[in-house]
Amino acid sequence: MTGETNTAENRSPGGDLYSMLFAGPPSTTEVVSAGRLTRVGARPPLGVYLGQLWNRRHFLWAEARAKVTSGTRENLLGTLWLVLKPVLDGLTYFLIFGLLLKSDRGIENFLGYLVIGVFLFSFTTRCVTGGAKSIAAGRNLIRAFAFPRASLPIAVVLREMLNMVPVLGVMIAIIVVLPPAEVFTWRVALVPLVLVLQVLFVTGLSLLLARCASVVPDLNQLIGFATRLWLYGSAVFFSYERFLDHPTIIALMEANPMFMVLDMVRDCLLYGVTPALSSWLGLSAWAVGTLVVGFLFFYRGEESYGRA
Amino acid sequence: MAELDPFASATVAVQDVHVRYRVPSTDAAERRRSTRLVRAAKTVLGQQPMVLVRALSGISFVARSGEQIGLVGQNGSGKSTLLRIIAGLERPARGRVLAESTPVLIGVNAALVPDLSGEQNVRLGCLAMGLTPEQTEKAIPDVVELAGLGKSIYLPMKTYSSGMGARLRFAIATAANPHIMLIDEALATGDAAFKERSEARMNRLRENAGTVFLVSHAAQTIEETCTRAIWLNYGRLVLDGPAEDVALRYRKWAWAIAKEKPDEAKKIIEDALAEKTETHVQVEESPGRSYRPRHVRGHGRDAAAVEKREA
Repeated sequence: MTGETNTAENRSPGGDLYSMLFAGPPSTTEVVSAGRLTRVGARPPLGVYLGQLWNRRHFLWAEARAKVTSGTRENLLGTLWLVLKPVLDGLTYFLIFGLLLKSDRGIENFLGYLVIGVFLFSFTTRCVTGGAKSIAAGRNLIRAFAFPRASLPIAVVLREMLNMVPVLGVMIAIIVVLPPAEVFTWRVALVPLVLVLQVLFVTGLSLLLARCASVVPDLNQLIGFATRLWLYGSAVFFSYERFLDHPTIIALMEANPMFMVLDMVRDCLLYGVTPALSSWLGLSAWAVGTLVVGFLFFYRGEESYGRA
Repeated sequence: MAELDPFASATVAVQDVHVRYRVPSTDAAERRRSTRLVRAAKTVLGQQPMVLVRALSGISFVARSGEQIGLVGQNGSGKSTLLRIIAGLERPARGRVLAESTPVLIGVNAALVPDLSGEQNVRLGCLAMGLTPEQTEKAIPDVVELAGLGKSIYLPMKTYSSGMGARLRFAIATAANPHIMLIDEALATGDAAFKERSEARMNRLRENAGTVFLVSHAAQTIEETCTRAIWLNYGRLVLDGPAEDVALRYRKWAWAIAKEKPDEAKKIIEDALAEKTETHVQVEESPGRSYRPRHVRGHGRDAAAVEKREA
């Protein structure tokens, strides 16, 4: 594997019968060794790819941190909107579902129930929509630098996590300050664990959708509807107990990872109940499964993202 | 003289590369070509007929270390596309590009993240190229100084003029100190002061770089700075040879076009095509294929990891 390049004046390029018989313009055949030269932009083996991704962690962090405020910078209230938006969302749902439609029947501490639902779901929504758009949004970077493209959707999730910090603070504050009083137990410590599983889950989903949307951009239009449907199907502002006589709906709902997230956080924060083992196992399966599938799916398309 | 040395090692091999784009066209003739039903559907959906543009067809050549290769050709002849393909930022429809290490493209027309300030873009760009945070912090003053934007470096990049943006892009890309460097009209932008600074930097980079590709409309720049030149016309390779010869012919051709002498221009191209030697690149697959990841050579952990793996 010396990698020497031999130049040979040769009128018959390897194997091409036509030009061998009817010698066209004079031609040279250059032989290069594939041992020393590798294909540019080639998708590396999975292990190396993961290593590259790890080596770019500083890039991911910088990209996420730099963009935290970019969505709201043009508003007068700036980053305050990060918190105001979910609060107003929650207020809207409270007015419509709590006061007008009275869907709060049978829900203990409806306000806390609603706040947890709206705030945590908004994280998923933002990650999913941002992740799906990340390839299109990062086109300039893609066309300027060679880096593992999975950095882009992952940076979106990272950015939303940073955005989420003040939102979580406000969520806790609302739950604590507004009546009725909650039963705070050691189970509060389980909440971060649930959130970690949620993050793993949405990361996988973002990677999955990022590749899909890079092929079919129309998907970005559909994601808005899909997440809204998902929001209604995750018992954000009503109790799933109203479907107790519809076993299929209950089964569907209990298999829904976002419902699991909300249910588990509510159990820990509001009701002082340890979430059932089945929920833990179910959500872990969703999180790990989606992450693995999403990552592999995105990884397989690695070379296609530079296309105009 | 580098190109005369048959034993200089190859750094980049471009093997029969074809690039096609499907793009919408407002050409009425294209529209008439489709059936009435398709036309009606397109009108309803507000879409234009798509045409196939062959940006590059059948480009093959091998570049060696120590070579500085100029790419000449009129606007839209595929020069920048070829650079993007070599950099591995786009995948060709057919053919492949092999390189010894990751080529770094120094382009001028991409704004990075328009909402971020120039300084943040410098940091982001350096990290994206695979520099470690320490290397980035060390490189930033250098990059900022080369860009020479004064206080504007703290303003969002979307407020920059195109010249300012180009200077910053160029400055960022030079921070990587690449072994294979692709320069897209970098020297053509900027005012006289920047030109001088960037030329000094370029010379320094060139000393380190194994192979340099340079796109420029100015055939004179190519003649002065390159050892070899490649002339592209409508995505086809017209001529590949010593810089003086190719650049001279290209200049004559461009002059003939400018003076509206199509016959003369045609003759120049045909002569060039007749004299061209087709290059066929054959890749010898060796059994022990070692993998070299696509990062900038010679930096930090990445490089250390590779060396370990290869040892």
